[in-house]
Amino acid sequence: MKGALVIGGALLRAAGLVAAIAIVVFLLLRTVPGDVVDVMAAQGDLNAAQQAALRAELGLDGGLLHQFGHWAAALSSGQLGQSLRFGRPVAEMVATALPVTLGFAAMAFALGLVLAMALAIGAVLLPRSVLPGLVEAINLWSIAMPTFVAGMGAILVFSLWLGWLPVIGNLPVPVVILGLDIAGQLAKPLLEELREAMAAPHVRTARAKGLHPVRIALAHVLPAALPVLLALSSVALAGLIGGTMTMEALFGLPGLGSLVLNAVHGRDLPVVQAVVLVLAVGVVAINAGADVLRRLADSRLTS
Amino acid sequence: MDGAASAAAARAPVPAKPVRRRLPPRLAAALLLVGLALLPGLVGLLPGMPDPMEQDLLALNMPPDAAHPLGTDHLGRDVLARLAAGTWLTLPTGIGGTLLAAGLGAGIGMLALTLGGVVAGAAYAAFDLLRVLPGTLLALLTAVVLGNGVWPVTLALGLAYAPLFAEVVRTAHAREMASDYVAAARVFGLGRLAVLWRHVLPNLLGPLITLSAIVLPRCIVTESVLSFLGLGVSPERPSWGRMIADASGFVEDAPHAVLAPMLALSALTLGLSLLGEMARRRADPLRREGRP
Repeated sequence: MKGALVIGGALLRAAGLVAAIAIVVFLLLRTVPGDVVDVMAAQGDLNAAQQAALRAELGLDGGLLHQFGHWAAALSSGQLGQSLRFGRPVAEMVATALPVTLGFAAMAFALGLVLAMALAIGAVLLPRSVLPGLVEAINLWSIAMPTFVAGMGAILVFSLWLGWLPVIGNLPVPVVILGLDIAGQLAKPLLEELREAMAAPHVRTARAKGLHPVRIALAHVLPAALPVLLALSSVALAGLIGGTMTMEALFGLPGLGSLVLNAVHGRDLPVVQAVVLVLAVGVVAINAGADVLRRLADSRLTS
Repeated sequence: MDGAASAAAARAPVPAKPVRRRLPPRLAAALLLVGLALLPGLVGLLPGMPDPMEQDLLALNMPPDAAHPLGTDHLGRDVLARLAAGTWLTLPTGIGGTLLAAGLGAGIGMLALTLGGVVAGAAYAAFDLLRVLPGTLLALLTAVVLGNGVWPVTLALGLAYAPLFAEVVRTAHAREMASDYVAAARVFGLGRLAVLWRHVLPNLLGPLITLSAIVLPRCIVTESVLSFLGLGVSPERPSWGRMIADASGFVEDAPHAVLAPMLALSALTLGLSLLGEMARRRADPLRREGRP
């Protein structure tokens, strides 16, 4: 019951945000002078009657509300319009690019999360080892090395000095770069949180009972840090979208980032509109998911 | 006798230990990094620097030498001059973006909270909306709608980071309004506006300045990412991100052309981030570091 309420509320909020984003993106792109038909007319030979017919077909005649209705109706049936440059349905282009980005982002995030948790838990268990220093170092790395700079550095090192060609189109290198960046964002705050949780009275009791330190860390300390980890993860995931875009551009991966960048440079507005919407829905979904998990994990937040 | 003398000696003012005026190492390192990163920009102000746009097709991808201290790029342009020109594009855009974000976030947040009710709800719903669109996507939209230029980029940065400032304002506002001294002021008949102006605003300044110090390096990185992706100020004007993108096709012939802006950007970001982190710890020693 409580769970259903939490999930329902989060879904409602997410739906509202998605609708608002759809409206804002639609209105913003409507302010760009010229529409699809103008571009097509400039490219080929369309007489005035054909232009009018095409506008009617695409729902571009009539007022803003009419246009939005047309677009929203098409959207709800999964149609995202036609690419101006390639003449292909945008939905098809998004469908080919999405798995690349999703797989790439998922691998990078998994790597970052595992690395951050391993480092932070290790550092809190072995405070005199090199691990706390490593957490600090990886944090500084993620601050000082924007991912596209790190990517460029990797290209320099691997292709130029080590001669491991080709780096372009190679997947592990960008995954490791983004993963390290995420680990750097997560590990230090997680370590602070774990340190604080270690000082809690119930952990002292567990220690006094003689429980194994690893068991204390996993069963008593980590759960206390979960809400913070979730919040940090959702921020990192949203930031990952920018990261995947630059990595895709740098390493020539045919994902959503490459698609939308090419569309921006080619003024292919339907593609821009669709990809921005898809990415925004992704961020909203991530935030909503993290919110639900956090509320379910921390019973204080639901009451 | 001996005892009295030592007691007198003990009572005599202890010569003050010389105060150590050395900089804390972290601060020194941060200042050094920022200084190093801005050095090319300062050198670029000297008379007699080559034009950052001037091409010398007989000296393409030249390694550093006396005429070109940082070498030339794939069009024979002086890397040092371009680095300097890029400094004066990246830094003002980053500062402008930070100031705009602070103005938009704190200004609109404060105004909305003053008016309260539906206005506050609507304003914060708008900030939520902005938060959902990552900075890169916002910049993409401004680039499509407004074209390339200083203002679209600054606007994108301002919009992307404004929600952080609005959130700080909301938290501080809620905290101060619930405090005893505000309740006391209200009891003494001070109006809502006067309370906000005299009590809440002064308490906000510290957190806002700290947040600005943290946002500035992020703005600089975001600007560089945008330039790198071709969504920046202009493809023609040299900026660090643009230089990296341009030179990335020629890493084998001219690694220096890509390394110089990379090092400058890393040093500046790291230095400014360390300064921001120190400002945060100084402003709020109880708060744990690294928390968003």
